[in-house]
Amino acid sequence: MDEVIEILEELKPGVDYETNEELVSKRVLDSLTILALVAELEDAFDITIPAVEIIEPNFNSAQAIWNLVNRLMEEDD
Amino acid sequence: MGLNSYFSIAYLAIFLPVVIVAYALIPRRFRWVVLLAASYVFFWLISGKLIVFILISTLTIYGVGIKLDKLLAQRDELIAADKSRRKELKAQYARTMRIWVAVGVGINIALLAMLKYLTFFSTVGASLLSLFGVQVDPIVSTIGAPIGISFYSLMAASYVFDVYRGTAKADRNIARLALFLSFFPQIMEGPICRYTQTAESLWAGRDIEKDNLYRGAVRIMWGLAKKLIVADRLNLLVKPVFADYASYDGGIIALAAIAYTLQLYCDFSGAMDVALGTARIFGVELPENFNHPFFSRTASEFWKRWHITLGTWLRDYIFYPISLSKPLKNLTKAARKTIGNRYGPLVAGAITLFCVWFANGLWHGAGSQYIFFGLYYFVIILLGGFIEPLAQTLSEKLHYSRESRWYKGLQIFRTLIVIFVGELFFRAEGLDAGLAMFGQMVAGFTFESFTNGAVLAIGMSVGDFVAIAGAVVILLVVGIIEERGTVISAWLCEKNLAVRWVVLLVLIFSMLIIGSYGFGAAPLEPIYAQF
Repeated sequence: MDEVIEILEELKPGVDYETNEELVSKRVLDSLTILALVAELEDAFDITIPAVEIIEPNFNSAQAIWNLVNRLMEEDD
Repeated sequence: MGLNSYFSIAYLAIFLPVVIVAYALIPRRFRWVVLLAASYVFFWLISGKLIVFILISTLTIYGVGIKLDKLLAQRDELIAADKSRRKELKAQYARTMRIWVAVGVGINIALLAMLKYLTFFSTVGASLLSLFGVQVDPIVSTIGAPIGISFYSLMAASYVFDVYRGTAKADRNIARLALFLSFFPQIMEGPICRYTQTAESLWAGRDIEKDNLYRGAVRIMWGLAKKLIVADRLNLLVKPVFADYASYDGGIIALAAIAYTLQLYCDFSGAMDVALGTARIFGVELPENFNHPFFSRTASEFWKRWHITLGTWLRDYIFYPISLSKPLKNLTKAARKTIGNRYGPLVAGAITLFCVWFANGLWHGAGSQYIFFGLYYFVIILLGGFIEPLAQTLSEKLHYSRESRWYKGLQIFRTLIVIFVGELFFRAEGLDAGLAMFGQMVAGFTFESFTNGAVLAIGMSVGDFVAIAGAVVILLVVGIIEERGTVISAWLCEKNLAVRWVVLLVLIFSMLIIGSYGFGAAPLEPIYAQF
């Protein structure tokens, strides 16, 4: 989870990623930032994030992103 | 106006009541038959023999869906037998499935291209060839396009994509699929639904409940009020100015651009109110297509609030798949390393945004002004991406909050200007006319026509302007209330019977009294049904 927060802070600083649960619905992360985030996550965790996973519930909080990463890592095993 | 408008007497006073009564009288397990028969009759009455094209679309996606389902089951069986080959099998089957997706989507898009764009593209092609001295006659399509082809083709394509991605299960019931694609309240102007959003509830044959009947009726009346009181009345100003723009000064052209934006909103969102209201009566919830777009702070936010289902379709099936393709992902990474996190994603983003906005423009019609309209938003949104970090730095350095009321107000005002200019080009009769009108509006702007009364000679009287002003105030108040989280129709449902009836009657009488119809009226043909 900390690694996800680090990536988020690098991409878009100044947001409380520990508590914010409306990253997409409140437009904190726009679609271009999400694309950069996907590329970073794929590199950091050696996963592939398909287009179908780019939905609001998967990116609305750091926890949701972490859950997505874990799920995709398990699927790849 | 015949059945080819959801605001027509033929639809609201004859077709819809007949379907509601038939639906209510028939046993639950056959109600889907009523909806499907009504949808096909509706289609036939408007498009006649062209109904064959929606049948082809239905059969194609039905067949491709089942094929994809079989391939998925086969793949999973093989993976279950030998987990070590998981990655290899997934890649192998993905290749075959992609071919089937291309077949399913390709047939639907090819039909759309043939019926809607053939003449346009062959004319462009012939003009290009003539530059090289090759003279060919453009092919002119004489078939015509069936009603709603731009809407149902995208729904058909989304079904194929969703089955491929595993977000929808292939339907083995062709009648349910046919109903999903052809449901009469949405066929003409959308919303562009996904299979998982509506197919099941359409099939369920839910009872007509009192609350749904009331909320559906209020929503229909609300849509009808927008159309009759605002959209039709504004036609008295919009139609003459756009038809003969050279006779008007810049002030009047600016007024016409604003009037057209309001007219388009009231016509299209009004049609959506009728579509969603009708569906609600049958217990079906269609996705919203509008969310108070004029409160948007940026052009990009505007498109998340205006024609929402087209925006989400383009996002899910064009923007993300292209952005997440290997070459573009590599480009994003390389650009971020070279020019940093702020501007790096914009490089690859620009390529995808171009595809999205070109598709958006083209979807609206086979005309250069529509492509210009799409590319106009491409430039504005891309510029927004470049300016955003600067605006953020500026607010930090000058210590002002970007969440303050005045700043938000300025952003909304700026976005409104962007929207009005965009709609000016959208409505203009060709790109040349759009450019001329824009030039005239900027260079020849004057308030003279407002002070010397010339504005009243175009077609709208003082009374008409007062009615429009009143309607704008009401739309604004409703917008503010809903922006604060109250859904007015749901709120009304909690009130006692007297209040509920008063609201419905006020809507009906306001339409009868101040609706623009009868002698001297210039009713507007449904704008989005033409796309």
